Amino acid sequence: MMDLADKSVGFILSAISLSIFTYYTFWVIILPFVDSDHFAHKYFLDRKLAIIIPVLAGVALVSFLCIFIGLVMIKSKKKSS
Amino acid sequence: MKHIQKIVSLLVTISACWIGLLKASIIPHSYTWLLPIYLIVSLGCYGLLMVGYGLMIFPTCPKEAELLQKDIMEAKEFFKQRGVDVDSD
Repeated sequence: MMDLADKSVGFILSAISLSIFTYYTFWVIILPFVDSDHFAHKYFLDRKLAIIIPVLAGVALVSFLCIFIGLVMIKSKKKSS
Repeated sequence: MKHIQKIVSLLVTISACWIGLLKASIIPHSYTWLLPIYLIVSLGCYGLLMVGYGLMIFPTCPKEAELLQKDIMEAKEFFKQRGVDVDSD
């Protein structure tokens, strides 16, 4: 039972990572070569967002890590005092 | 210390390649500016893929799990006979 849940979680993770990779590759590399009246441009957002979204995600990740470390430090100091 | 030196030298070579690409203008400029961000995103994607793949491939051993439970019960009985209580709940 447990390994079925593990396998499905692993499959979902790899599917998410592959889809993000292909979407981002299309967005950054292939789309500038396509003519601007192709239908595929509808499915991709504005190219400026291709920079802003990863930067925002990185900033969110770093701030989450800092907050987590800070909370753990405060908790340990409260316990020791 | 050696590990940090390896990582720093790798970063220096990658940034040297990137600045060289910028100066030589083989690739259109809009690509060279996006290249580091693209590499970081693809690196994160690769890590996630490896984690997911490892989760899928990870082997469970049901027979060994059963044998282990049997061993644990045997050990508990053995200690209970000698008067030591190792039961965790």
